[in-house]
Amino acid sequence: MSGVQASRRTVLKVAGASGAAYAFSTAAGISPAGAATKKRAYVLVIDGCRPGEVDAMPNVAALRDAGTWYPAARSLPVMETIPNHVMMMTGCRPARNGVPANQIYDRTEAVLRNSDRPTDIKVATIIEQLNASGRTTGTVLSKEYLYTVFGERATHRWEPFPLLPVTEHSPDVATTSAAIAMVEQFDPDLVFINLGDVDRVGHSDLTGTTLKAARQAALASTNIQVGRMVDKLKSSGKWASSMVIVLADHSMDWSVPENTISLTSAFNQDPTLTGKFQIAQNGGADLVYWTGSSSARSAAVARMRTLALATTGVFQAHVISETPSLRLGANAGDLLVYCKAGWRFSDPGPQSNPIPGNHGHPATEPIPFFVSGGSPAVKKGVARSATAHTMDVTPTLGAYFGVKAPSSGWEGTSRL
Amino acid sequence: MPNAYFAHGVASGDPRPTSVVLWTRVTPTAASKPGSGQGPNVSVTWQVSTTSAFTTIAATGKVTTGPARDHTVKVDVTGLKPAAPYYYRFVYAATHSAVGRTRTAPAATTSPANLRFGVVSCANLQAGWFSSYRHLAKRNDLHAVLHLGDYIYEYGPGEYGYGNADVDIRKHEPAHEILKLADYRQRHAQYKRDVDLQALHAKYAFIHTWDDHEVADDAWKGGAVNHTEGVEGSFTARRAAAHQAFDEWMPVRMSGSAAPGDGDQIYRRLQFGDLAEITMLDLRTYRDKQLAAQVDPAEADPDRTITGRAQMDFLKDSLTRRVAQWKLVGNPVMIAPFTFAGLPQNLVDPVNDTAGLLPRDGVPYNVDQWDGYTDDRREVFETLRDNGVTDSLFITGDIHSGWACDLPADKATYLASRNSVGVEFVATSVTSNNLKDITGTPRRTTSVAVEETLKANNPHIKYLNFDDHGYSVLDITAKRAQMDWYILGDRADKNTSSTWTTSWATTAGSQTVRQVDAPVGA
Repeated sequence: MSGVQASRRTVLKVAGASGAAYAFSTAAGISPAGAATKKRAYVLVIDGCRPGEVDAMPNVAALRDAGTWYPAARSLPVMETIPNHVMMMTGCRPARNGVPANQIYDRTEAVLRNSDRPTDIKVATIIEQLNASGRTTGTVLSKEYLYTVFGERATHRWEPFPLLPVTEHSPDVATTSAAIAMVEQFDPDLVFINLGDVDRVGHSDLTGTTLKAARQAALASTNIQVGRMVDKLKSSGKWASSMVIVLADHSMDWSVPENTISLTSAFNQDPTLTGKFQIAQNGGADLVYWTGSSSARSAAVARMRTLALATTGVFQAHVISETPSLRLGANAGDLLVYCKAGWRFSDPGPQSNPIPGNHGHPATEPIPFFVSGGSPAVKKGVARSATAHTMDVTPTLGAYFGVKAPSSGWEGTSRL
Repeated sequence: MPNAYFAHGVASGDPRPTSVVLWTRVTPTAASKPGSGQGPNVSVTWQVSTTSAFTTIAATGKVTTGPARDHTVKVDVTGLKPAAPYYYRFVYAATHSAVGRTRTAPAATTSPANLRFGVVSCANLQAGWFSSYRHLAKRNDLHAVLHLGDYIYEYGPGEYGYGNADVDIRKHEPAHEILKLADYRQRHAQYKRDVDLQALHAKYAFIHTWDDHEVADDAWKGGAVNHTEGVEGSFTARRAAAHQAFDEWMPVRMSGSAAPGDGDQIYRRLQFGDLAEITMLDLRTYRDKQLAAQVDPAEADPDRTITGRAQMDFLKDSLTRRVAQWKLVGNPVMIAPFTFAGLPQNLVDPVNDTAGLLPRDGVPYNVDQWDGYTDDRREVFETLRDNGVTDSLFITGDIHSGWACDLPADKATYLASRNSVGVEFVATSVTSNNLKDITGTPRRTTSVAVEETLKANNPHIKYLNFDDHGYSVLDITAKRAQMDWYILGDRADKNTSSTWTTSWATTAGSQTVRQVDAPVGA
């Protein structure tokens, strides 16, 4: 029973500044609040934020301009939330860490499911490495599936609440209050925070256009929350010992309902394919899994690729085993199909994906990425043209804390 | 001091990390006049040094030249150090040329703190003095000069000059429209004797492309508006002559080499560390004919092209290959879409005259720009959008006016979406006529209403100045790209001054322009 594991953690209800209570589960045997001279790091993910939107968030722009900015930064395939958060915390890509997309087809269980189980991550995260080095860690993740995939790895874990219906995320004001309460109560060496509002408003913006009122409001609200967090670190004397990495997991693209792509119907027109494939839908990217005989796989995948490329709105189709540069691994299936900007996949049918804001395709690769904070380790006021990636977060944390790569290795680069 | 042997000055161009093209023209005998085909074959020595006194020689060699190449000298010096200033000169008959200064590009793997370029286009010698070149030459902070074309004009005296009366401030040589190789050579030689142009060539390496007037007005692959087939010979032969003279007289690698006569491909790339890569385009040699007067559905015909297939693939590769943060495009004609709809009819003609071919009752857009080849533009913009390309920056000339524009992914929805795929900065002309010159009105009178109407109907156009001549300075860092516009007094005044007028920038990753309040330091 999971209760055995749960019993090794204690749940603490902490009252925040507003009087609201925040529930944290904490690993057993940890003493709170370290020395004042320690190093602190905060990874702040503004989910789904486009680089050009940072200027609409003055508090975020101030962090960018005061730190080390990587304006050419990009998300990595598949440009979805779970895989890019896992890349941030593992320093390596899906072929190694095991998490290629939000949704996968699990061949063992023969089901389409979210890749959100703690056991889906196959390598050590920087969270576990820091714990092993005697430091403490915290996760404050606004989305249910992020909360679950990172599981009980962190010393302190916030249980996102309230979760909004439909979006299954906690609003930034609650997430930030929880992060502040966690810092006040436990002061972990590393806190990994996901702010979901910008992404979730992006998904539910039904106008099909960017920067409409709801998105603008979300950016303004998130800006306030980031400001609260920074103010708290400054007023509590932690700023000078803090590194704050701000980035997005992916960008965002919008499509109108007429611009939906269904590969299911395209493939079903070929009788040799019917009923012998599964499609894991990831917004702007479809992962196609051949479920027929292995002797027919090669020809069938080639056929599906041809059919996909002949479908209006499709941008590219890559045979995963023949495209090692994707570093997606076997869990991603046989074929990766990207849509063009302004389109989205909707499988199995045209109504299956009603969300106008999507990501997963190359149009959604550009992300904000900067290393800021008061720590002397942070180079102030510079920008670098090198292409930073989500997987660079862990090597950056490793360089900061003096932690070396685990035996599984890192593929990213320190951006200190 | 200029001397009889080296009367056309010295120049350098196309800087790469370890090489740069050096140029001069030697006049070994009085008879060896440009375009004459006269004079002996001679050997000219070139020298490169790290000091202006040439106390040590970093590289040297000899080049043989003669009447077959109009006594021009062009050498691709290799083995140089990256991001380094060099001095160069030529020697003939124990006489030194003027000393030129140049600078190699940063190594591909390095991260330069900034890049700063002078930006110029449209220098009609008959329309005035080249003060823009002189003012740029006074600066000490540039890495190179981008020349976006119309470096020479093909007209004879009286055909295209200063203002709406076409007064010739200076008269073109030869004194007729240039058609043949000897004509083009003489015209290039005349421009190269201009002291302001000589000063700028001697100070900085140029990165050139051509637009139409290096051959003839509104050129396309099979002809030009200012070419009458038969009466003026064949367009193919005329263009070949123009390209040959350009290859001889300009510090450019054509078809990848400094040797003349081995190909006339001028579209190419130059990389400046991981900060920027420049792709210089040729939008004349491969384009289909401009559309005629009426609104024509062929505007969007996918078979019509402004780039040609091979150059389009080259450009798309430039934009997506990710060797550098900023994808600069040296773009001879504007790519931002715009409509003249809403403009009063009495102003349409002069705007058309400035902006290019646009008949009186014709299409409400400029058919000589990318607006006349919308399927090619769609392909470029979709490439940028589908691949999530950031920081593509089109630097443009041709239209004798200053512009700063976003590049709307979809012009129809831009006002609501602000969805832009890149930005475009357009430099004004060195001398060639603009709107106020053609309407004959004082600056900042008639044009203001035109500019405001155009901006109102084209909300992605943020800055527009139809009145002034001058030059621009483009400064690029990892954080932003900024263009400063400098304007001149009267082009007819040889010593006219230059004034900063405005600056616009694009923040990295934003794909949108914003006004800034000061130019980069001179």
